Amino acid sequence: MRPLDPRLLRHARAARGHVAVTAALGVLTAVLVVVQALLLADAIATVAVEGGGWPEIRDETALLVAVLVGRAGISWAQERFGHRAATAVIGQLRLQVVEHVSALGRAAPGEAGVLDGTGAGSLVTLVTRGLDALDGYLVRYLPQLLLAVTVTPGVLVVVAWQDGVSAVIIAVTLPLVPVFMVLVGLATRSAADRRLRTMRRLGTQVLDLVAGLPTLRALGRDRAQATRVREAGDAYRRATMGTLRSAFLSALVLETLTTISVALVAVGVGLRLVHGGIDLRTGLAVLVLAPEVYLPLRMVGLHYHASVDGLAAAAEAFTVLDREPAPTGRREAPDLRGHLIVLDDVSVTHRGRTAPTPHLLRMDVRPGRVHALTGPSGSGKSTACSVLLGLRRPDAGRVLLRRPDETTASSDGSLTPGHPDVDLTDVDLADLDPASWWRQVSWVPQRPPLVPGSLLDNVLLAAPEDATRAEVDTAAAETGLAEVVAALATGWDTPVGQGGVGLSAGQRQRVALTRALLSRAQLVILDEPTAHLDAATEGIVRATLLRLRDQGRTVVVVAHRASLVELADDVTTLGPVGDADPAAGDAAQPSAGVASRATAGPGRPR
Amino acid sequence: MSTADREPAASRWRLPRTAPPLLRALAALRPAPGRVVLAVVTGTLALGCAVGLMATSAWLISRAAEHPPVIELSVAVVATRAFGIGRGALRYAERLVSHDVALRGVVAIRVRLYQRLVDADPAVVAGLRRGDLLARVGADVDALADVVVRSVLPFAVAALTGTVAATLLALALPVAGPVMVVGLVVAGVAAPLLAATAARRSELDAAGARSATSAEALALVESLAELTVAGAVPDRLRRLESLDHRLARRLDRAAAPAALGAGLATLATGAVSLVCLVTGAVAVAAGDLAPVMLAVVVLAPVAVAEAVVPLPAAAVGLVRAHAAAVRVMDLLDAAPAAHAPEDSLGTVPDTGSADTGSARTTSPGGTSRSATGLRAEGLYCGWPGGPPVLRGIDLDVSPGRRVAVVGPSGAGKTTLLLTLAGLLPPLSGRVTLDGIPLHLLDPSALRTTVNLTAEDAHVFGTTVRQNLLLAGPGLRDPELLAALARAGLGPWLSELPRGLDTVLGSGGTDLSGGERRRLLLARALLVHAEVLLLDEPAEHLDPVTADTLLRDVLTAGPAVVVVTHRVSPLVATDEVLLIEDGAVGCRGRHHELLRTSARYRESWQVEQGACHGSRHAPASRRSRAPAR
Repeated sequence: MRPLDPRLLRHARAARGHVAVTAALGVLTAVLVVVQALLLADAIATVAVEGGGWPEIRDETALLVAVLVGRAGISWAQERFGHRAATAVIGQLRLQVVEHVSALGRAAPGEAGVLDGTGAGSLVTLVTRGLDALDGYLVRYLPQLLLAVTVTPGVLVVVAWQDGVSAVIIAVTLPLVPVFMVLVGLATRSAADRRLRTMRRLGTQVLDLVAGLPTLRALGRDRAQATRVREAGDAYRRATMGTLRSAFLSALVLETLTTISVALVAVGVGLRLVHGGIDLRTGLAVLVLAPEVYLPLRMVGLHYHASVDGLAAAAEAFTVLDREPAPTGRREAPDLRGHLIVLDDVSVTHRGRTAPTPHLLRMDVRPGRVHALTGPSGSGKSTACSVLLGLRRPDAGRVLLRRPDETTASSDGSLTPGHPDVDLTDVDLADLDPASWWRQVSWVPQRPPLVPGSLLDNVLLAAPEDATRAEVDTAAAETGLAEVVAALATGWDTPVGQGGVGLSAGQRQRVALTRALLSRAQLVILDEPTAHLDAATEGIVRATLLRLRDQGRTVVVVAHRASLVELADDVTTLGPVGDADPAAGDAAQPSAGVASRATAGPGRPR
Repeated sequence: MSTADREPAASRWRLPRTAPPLLRALAALRPAPGRVVLAVVTGTLALGCAVGLMATSAWLISRAAEHPPVIELSVAVVATRAFGIGRGALRYAERLVSHDVALRGVVAIRVRLYQRLVDADPAVVAGLRRGDLLARVGADVDALADVVVRSVLPFAVAALTGTVAATLLALALPVAGPVMVVGLVVAGVAAPLLAATAARRSELDAAGARSATSAEALALVESLAELTVAGAVPDRLRRLESLDHRLARRLDRAAAPAALGAGLATLATGAVSLVCLVTGAVAVAAGDLAPVMLAVVVLAPVAVAEAVVPLPAAAVGLVRAHAAAVRVMDLLDAAPAAHAPEDSLGTVPDTGSADTGSARTTSPGGTSRSATGLRAEGLYCGWPGGPPVLRGIDLDVSPGRRVAVVGPSGAGKTTLLLTLAGLLPPLSGRVTLDGIPLHLLDPSALRTTVNLTAEDAHVFGTTVRQNLLLAGPGLRDPELLAALARAGLGPWLSELPRGLDTVLGSGGTDLSGGERRRLLLARALLVHAEVLLLDEPAEHLDPVTADTLLRDVLTAGPAVVVVTHRVSPLVATDEVLLIEDGAVGCRGRHHELLRTSARYRESWQVEQGACHGSRHAPASRRSRAPAR
């Protein structure tokens, strides 16, 4: 990544101001550095050569005080505004990344490829701690970089004006700094890479032993391995020192070149002074200015490492920001109360697998009924839910919304087949505006999320704006969440989520069920709501299901337990899949054993 | 045998527990005084070169302006060049020495931490999450090393450099010495203090805002799909934005003193030069200072100021490392186990080896020893200080018995196994091995008699052989191969290009779930324990693989206790305990429980239905009828 990525300026408005202010301060610094050097040289020469005293240098001193105050002010401003700008830039980038990821997610949040190139794990790191590393880059590195392009040439020009020979010496040695640093880098790179790998491996060895301590203890080997910890630690130290010996070489080159250059300038000036080529005033000015030419370069080298992490995080952020969201359908979703949801030979192949799960799944979800989805683990029940939710596009097959009269024309007389104003064609879920679809869908996932905020905030997460407290209380009473709330000292206001109180899996489940009851969405999808739950919670899930059906909602529930399956009006059983274990007998069956038997039962009296 | 006894150097750096944690943690790095002095001296010499370069150049130029014979300048010319070359080399040496000091400290403290963890009560270690423990031993210790290199040594170097420079300056111009001291104290003490205040403030004030922002961003990214479906994303984004603004305001307020410090440092170091200029001019006029020395006393302080440049960052480093030091010292101070090895009465023989002098062996040769096996009576288990998780457990694991423990997750099954293995003390009741309570037995021998393989047992990042040899260092390859074959890993091993020498990833990351479980089983088999305790040996495996593995496990050891959530393979057990509501809900043989326990039967039916689909799924078929 480039030292100053234009994307940073494009994406983070705060960065533009920061760069402008920093550059201005850099120019001002250059001016003050030069003025200070000339004043100091003048004052010293006045006293040392011309025999002047305090009265003769009073004016210079006063000006020097002013310059000093100015430089102190710049130091203050750089630190003050640097941090402020850095915080703003980091905040802006964080918000943009999260915003953009959610925009990418609007297209297909469950799609495995959405976060390609970053991965959800590193994305989490990026938006939590990763971007904070930009602070070092913005506050330390970038100002020095800007000083290197303002102070270094500016001061060099002044040196040339004062003493051409010294300027030539500096101009010749200056390019040597980057050249030698690159050469050293190239010469040591392969060795450094190798050493770095060894170092990392040895570094993890000690931690590996600590991570496995309970295991070592269980094997009665914990004491014996203490010597291994020391050996691995010593090997790590030796490897690290080897790496550092070459890593510090570039710093050695940088410092040696800059100080030798200053020495060369000083000796040259001194020898020419003897012969009267130049005067003391000029000589001293050049002596003071020469290190100032190199200083920004040295600082850039010094702060380079502080900037690397930040730049890497920024690059990662730009990778996310540069991704275009996939196009989504625009069509408004039809009212689900009057539509069947038809999974038409849906197959999804997971990454790294060959056999699709589910494979050629067919099922009809009828409005107002409870539809159970069963089958062994790994048969694709959760994936079927994702497809139904519109979170994942099927690799084959479609999800269609169909007017019931097309399939069971006799059962519903409200529509006249063939009526010209009625759209009788199927609507593909892929053509719908996802937001309009999700307005009619409520989802109780396996691990319901908690967002930072109060328990009430969490329950109201998907609720319509006009949800009343009475509705909340009724819903909570039905899901048993009311009991949980009653047991909490601060009741509904209790903070949950990260930093709040932890809720057990069962309590989370109750929050999610309450959410579903409050949502008023027509289609409610529950993914394994009874997995790992006790009998009491299971009873609550059953009661909630019945309540949802009484409200006329369509429910799709992934169910393992017979007690839940019993409750369903329709059942689809997914077959086992051969992908995991070739020994599974059913794998050999045609259509991978998917037995979709969504039978329209006699139907409940309604 | 305490840790201190093993390490003769302990007393030299021992600090009382009331000392600040960071100081104690730095002492715990056991830095060798010689190396520390070397680092400080080379650092001072490196800075001295910079000062010397400026001072000799200033003198050289001033003297040259008086047009002396060139020969008079030759010493200064050579010195100037020498200082120019020496600076880089000395700085390089200083960097290496200081990193060496820090790294040696890291090794020393890690070894001590490891020994502490070994000696500590298992409950102390188990109370920490693995991630937390690794962060303490890893990142926190690295943070301490960083403090040595970036904070402690720079302060020492600055102090030494400042003292020497002020002394030399005072020799030339008496008043300049104290002036420099004042300037350096302002720039090197006051400014860092302000920076540290800012850092502390930012940690105190902004920490809450920072974690709130992080939590919000985390919730958004992690639960994106759920929040998107719920239509809650726009709301959460607005919340994140306002949290971010709050964080920015707090950080900005906190940063104010640091900026003040930066300005102050610039002012103080510049003022030293100015005061030297004015007093120098007066001294020159009075004849107290040679005119050629004026440039030296004015310009040398500019170079000395370089010593205090890294100090504000160094002070911030000290503040930041405080928390790491507290965490590391917490571990180092962890109380050793209540039942330390030397307190134990008898020693249980390592049954796999030749050592047979034992409390259990009533006569030599072991023919008539009372091998009643592992028994629990009226056992209450739970974490020390906590409530009992399981109550009133009686268990007989006499030789040859195969017992399974099933129940919902969180029911305390793992706690039961830890207690049976002697890794947790019973809250009440007792666990005995051949009649002797576990806590009276030598731990290491006990481990090889009663061996626990935890659900999250570790696969080490080393070769397959080394992983297996942890079961017994003297094992030979044929034994290892036999164990792998018994664990069903024969085909897997033959596929490995380097066989037993194949290096595995730490945590078994490059193994499939089934391979990892089987490798752990092979290792457990090699212990040749009399009782194998296995926690969820088939968790996260697909049903067919899980059941095959469980069946293998049940025939693996002389006596086996297995915790599992799959009940189908339990046909092969002598007894099944079904844990419900913190106690044994019911117990008996597999087919008895199928009759007597509805819950057990249902678990079994779910597995059958899931495993064999339509063919044996009466439950699923029946349910297809409408509920009412």
